[in-house]
Amino acid sequence: MSIFGFLATVKLGEATSGGGFWMPEGASTVAAEVDEVFYFINNINYFFFALCTFVLVYFAIKYRLKPNHHSGFSHDAPTHNTPLELTWSIVPLFLVGVMFWLGMDGYLRLNESPEDAYPVSVTGQKWSWTFQHPEYGVTEAGELTVPLGRPVRLLMTSSDVLHSLFIPAFRVKNDVVPGRYSSLWFEATRPGQYRLYCSEYCGKDHSKMLAVVNVLPEEEFQAQLGKLAREYEDIEDRDLPVYALTRLYNRCASCHSLDGKSGTGPSFKGLWERTKNGTTAFTDGSTLADYMRPGGEFEVPENYIRDSILNPQHYIVQNYLGAMPTFKGQLKERQIDALVLMIKNMDRLVDEQGNPIESPDLGDADISTGAGQ
Amino acid sequence: MTGDPRPLEQPTLTDNYLTYTRGFLSWALTLDHKRIGLMYLCSVLLAFLLGGIFALLVRTQLLVPEGLIMDQDDYNQAFTLHGGIMVFLVIIPSTPAALGNFVLPIMLGAKDVAFPRLNLMSYYLWVIGAIFMVYSIFGGGLDTGWTFYTPYSIDQNSAMGGVIPAVTGAFILGFSSIFTGMNFIVTIHRLRPKGMTWFRMPLFLWSIYATAVIQVLATPVLGITLALLAVERAFGIGIFDPTLGGDPVLYQHFFWFYSHPAVYIMILPAMGIVSELIAVHSHRHIFGYSFIAWSSVAIAMFSFIVWGHHMFTSGQSPLVNVVFSFITFSVAIPSAVKVFNWLATMYKGAISWNTPMLYGMGFIFLFVIGGLTGLYLGTLSTDIHLHDTYFVVAHFHYVMMGSALIGFIGGLHHWWPKMIGKMYNENAGRVAFVLFFIGYNMTFFTQFMLGSHGMPRRYATYPADAGFQMYHIISTIGSYMMAIAFFMMAAYFISSIFGGRRAAANPWGGRSLEWQCTSPPPHDNFSEQPEVGDCYDFSVLRWDEATQGYVWREDVDRPGEKSHA
Repeated sequence: MSIFGFLATVKLGEATSGGGFWMPEGASTVAAEVDEVFYFINNINYFFFALCTFVLVYFAIKYRLKPNHHSGFSHDAPTHNTPLELTWSIVPLFLVGVMFWLGMDGYLRLNESPEDAYPVSVTGQKWSWTFQHPEYGVTEAGELTVPLGRPVRLLMTSSDVLHSLFIPAFRVKNDVVPGRYSSLWFEATRPGQYRLYCSEYCGKDHSKMLAVVNVLPEEEFQAQLGKLAREYEDIEDRDLPVYALTRLYNRCASCHSLDGKSGTGPSFKGLWERTKNGTTAFTDGSTLADYMRPGGEFEVPENYIRDSILNPQHYIVQNYLGAMPTFKGQLKERQIDALVLMIKNMDRLVDEQGNPIESPDLGDADISTGAGQ
Repeated sequence: MTGDPRPLEQPTLTDNYLTYTRGFLSWALTLDHKRIGLMYLCSVLLAFLLGGIFALLVRTQLLVPEGLIMDQDDYNQAFTLHGGIMVFLVIIPSTPAALGNFVLPIMLGAKDVAFPRLNLMSYYLWVIGAIFMVYSIFGGGLDTGWTFYTPYSIDQNSAMGGVIPAVTGAFILGFSSIFTGMNFIVTIHRLRPKGMTWFRMPLFLWSIYATAVIQVLATPVLGITLALLAVERAFGIGIFDPTLGGDPVLYQHFFWFYSHPAVYIMILPAMGIVSELIAVHSHRHIFGYSFIAWSSVAIAMFSFIVWGHHMFTSGQSPLVNVVFSFITFSVAIPSAVKVFNWLATMYKGAISWNTPMLYGMGFIFLFVIGGLTGLYLGTLSTDIHLHDTYFVVAHFHYVMMGSALIGFIGGLHHWWPKMIGKMYNENAGRVAFVLFFIGYNMTFFTQFMLGSHGMPRRYATYPADAGFQMYHIISTIGSYMMAIAFFMMAAYFISSIFGGRRAAANPWGGRSLEWQCTSPPPHDNFSEQPEVGDCYDFSVLRWDEATQGYVWREDVDRPGEKSHA
């Protein structure tokens, strides 16, 4: 299909936030405004594009060199025309002035979050998003639940390199920078699920650093957050491994596989056996067994798992780069317990290919975290 | 008496710059700007092949959502090297260093550039820089993106080990660029021939001059920035590293303070070429000469104060964003003025539809799209949505490839007969252009829609159900068409060397001085410095069937001669 084929399908001046040829369906209050500016520029561009292309093709055909007229080129055609040249300088100047003004106006509103916005703290780290709801004491990963029709303000920071939080349906984006806070706000206008991307290149799994924004009507939102807030407190110890696998593992998944394949980090498959037996070797030449002797740091082997989550740069497993960021402060104690139990019982939770087993048998599972020992 | 009373010196293949001396050293140690230009041309085209292979790898990967041929690490290297090679090794040196070196002194009627030894040194600096750059692939790999953004690039646990070789390469390439720029500035100031006042210079020289000013003023900033980056990565001194109290966003300011003007280092020479192509092949005096000349200077000056528009989402203050948005729009005007002037030049012209002109017209079409789509990105509220998506990728490819590179390729077709002394197959050239032009728009126009629908840049994989795949497939097919077109070009250029028809001194009907010496030019270009008149007055030329070229009309005086008897 050529460019003309595409252009033929374009609706001129479609100034709605409905899904279109140019813009996806909008789902926030600012989306409609942004799209209006976009389509305003679009219409001006269509005009100038059509004008320039028409003139180009028309002149090229009309004034083409006639056969056997290779000589006697006239020197009479005008070589300048000040009024014409001023016109085509000043008219575009005026038009881009209008564009600048509209863009600035919309941008400044995009920037001022309303006073009563619902706060969410966001942490970007290679290669996952963590969303904390301070009003509920809830931490979500990979999914951001927000209320419908209420402004939401994201206060964002990064724990490693630059990231950028981008929600196309809301037309919002802002970089997430280590060592400082940045923010953005939106007010969702339609319930549903929307994609959230990392749009600033951040390394290996940049294209996997995705999340979903789940917009719920106010009541459902409160019910959902209430449920999430109690989630791991209400859970039976015996159910913690399944909770970790279904609710927490998605933050580990981009680096740690379940099927034995090496990723950015070691696979979780067989991890507990390697830990228990002390066979894990580190980049400095030592092995885990060296620290497991009585009185050693990891006399209780569960502590190695815990240490790896909270202090991942401490011991780096041989053949890996030590790319993992710390999860200190992002996981509650009980969630760390859940992860330790998940790793200890991995062979009961997933099959040989690493696929989760439905209703796994954890009847005689080891659910000690080593904390009491 | 029939025939030209002052016949142009006919080329004899034994007396031109190509055959003046023989042997490897006569090329490797040459001080002849034409040979250096030709060596640059070969080197740049080789780098273009390498960068193009990486581009095809990237496009092939994206045929399917989960990625077709590479894992994430390999993909990240592929797009990084595509960008790094194309920017630093191809586009920046393409027109100024390769074509500029060849054409500029001849256009001035000079024997060489002002500093021939410095010129040769620039070339070897380019070679050394290129070796470092390519070495980074083997010396640990390079996966930072061509922008080397901090803190990713300085973090030993993040970026691969090739960062320091790559920035060393870019640092050295910077000196190559600075020296070339200095050389051209001095050459244009000091070596203009009799009669060539500033406002009688061919517009290509104006654009090369404006480019050289940017090269000399902006490139040192890149050098310092990359030196700081290397020191930061090696020793952790805490300039950009937030864990040591540094500011990673500061790097972006430094980087774009060079790299935005660098965009104009790429596009301005191409604009200069197009001014020549449109005028010469329309056989018509350029319209609005002084507006075009001044707009080159205006663009060069504005280019230094718009870098912040690369950083609207970086967290810089809203006030700064508003100021940068405002200044950015002011650059739009000189660019628009140039387009209108080129179109007006075609009015009442006598337009040859030969390959260089097709590239000239293709340039206008693609530059209009590239320029107009920049308006969405200069506008603050829409840029927030479009920033770092494929919309930006499409926009800058329309400007960097569709315009800057097309200008270079058009110029190559225009000056090829002069450089080599042979004509390429005109029909093959036209077919390759059409194939390229369709493939180009398929590749990059689709990327506008990808971006506006939210596809971020630098993704090795993408969600399968987001509706991106069809655009990616069209885009990839287009890129293969372009690849075929480029191989066709290589084929007819190479075959022209061996089997092409001998080129006349002035096959297109140009008036600037390079068309007054033989094709290929003799070692010294001119036996005595010629005088020049109006280099866009084509009425003094006539077609000569015998030589298949244009010659001076018998009934018109040449500049500097007494009136025709």
